[in-house]
Amino acid sequence: MSPSSHNRGPDLTLIAGAAPSSASDSRPGPEGPAARELDWSIYMARAQGGDREAYRRLLEEITPYLRSLAARRVPNRSDVEDAVQDALLTIHAVRHTYDPSRPFGPWLVAIANRRIVDGLRRRGRTGARETPLDAEHETFAAPEANYHEAASEARALREAVESLPPGQRDAIRMLKLREMSLKEAAAVSGMTVAALKVATHRAVKSLRKVLGRQDRRT
Amino acid sequence: MITTPDLIESLVANAAPVRRLRPPVARAVGWLLFAALMLALLAISHEVRPDLALRLRQPEFAIGIAASLATGVLAAIASFTASIPDRSRRWLLLPLPALVLWVSTIGYGCLVNWISLSPSLPLGDEAGCFALLVLTGVPLSLAMLIMLRHAALLAPTRVAISGGLAVAAVTATALSIFHEHDASAIILIWNFGTAVLLVALGGAFGRRMFSWVAYAGK
Repeated sequence: MSPSSHNRGPDLTLIAGAAPSSASDSRPGPEGPAARELDWSIYMARAQGGDREAYRRLLEEITPYLRSLAARRVPNRSDVEDAVQDALLTIHAVRHTYDPSRPFGPWLVAIANRRIVDGLRRRGRTGARETPLDAEHETFAAPEANYHEAASEARALREAVESLPPGQRDAIRMLKLREMSLKEAAAVSGMTVAALKVATHRAVKSLRKVLGRQDRRT
Repeated sequence: MITTPDLIESLVANAAPVRRLRPPVARAVGWLLFAALMLALLAISHEVRPDLALRLRQPEFAIGIAASLATGVLAAIASFTASIPDRSRRWLLLPLPALVLWVSTIGYGCLVNWISLSPSLPLGDEAGCFALLVLTGVPLSLAMLIMLRHAALLAPTRVAISGGLAVAAVTATALSIFHEHDASAIILIWNFGTAVLLVALGGAFGRRMFSWVAYAGK
């Protein structure tokens, strides 16, 4: 392929007097795109008659060309391949509309452009109803990624502790949140160790009820 | 998703010989012959309006009927030509001059007969009118749809609008031949209304109808 020689698709005409190069020579010779297009025209004429080998060669040769056409209009790489396949399927479906007495290029480009534009419209339509998955929608296994949830749980816990009776609340704060020992807590609050134990036990029980937690940790 | 080389393989495997389309003008002539046959059958079953010879001598009637017939012929040629991928879409403008002439004769008829516009047609007359429209319009539309089914993947809406115009113009011609113009303005409005309706239907549902026929044919 010589991609340098075409920018706007093969708006070429058959060169007068150009001998139809034999179809056995599949290489697009140094004559350039005009000769290649003539080859394609011959392949298609044969394919219409049921020549599978010519058809395979034609499809294989036009595929990179279709890809370059699509890549110019379609931004997304996988969508480019979709457009190429769509164009190939359409060419297959309407191959009887090609008239071998006319140049092949305009026929090919018209079909390809049609399918590319249709595909862009279709993707535009579905794209309008979709939301892309951005980085901020992603979540990770690492605990730091889920601070949000943890924060809301902490608030729920704080509110639950707040709603306890004063004796139980102080016991929980001192023993569980500030992690004081029973002796220290007894000294600070003036409650007995036994009373602190009972208050903590009751507080944990009612917290469990409030938070609806089933876990056995205390 | 199937890879492109696999797709090419499967297309090659399905590359049965196809029959090339005849030149578009020849196909348009085929459709017009079918339309002529329809009109001939109608002429045998219905009777041609008794005052046809008389009316044909009136210039505005003769010009109107010639314009609608020309619109039908040109729109048919335009549809068949524009349905081929590599033909210019400017072909669709082909029936425009005849269409303008036709519409202006309708407008002129309306203007002249405005005063003689009778408030309503007898009900049976309108029903017969409608039956005639359906009898000519439906088979012609179906024939056009099937003959142009390859346009489903290419330019369905444009081609359907043009095809609708061809059917409408032929139908209107039939109406002027078979139906008595006692309340000519109303019949003319009917004509024009049908044309607009058919073209609008072609534009709105052409894409869907084409793809339906195209897939049913496979």
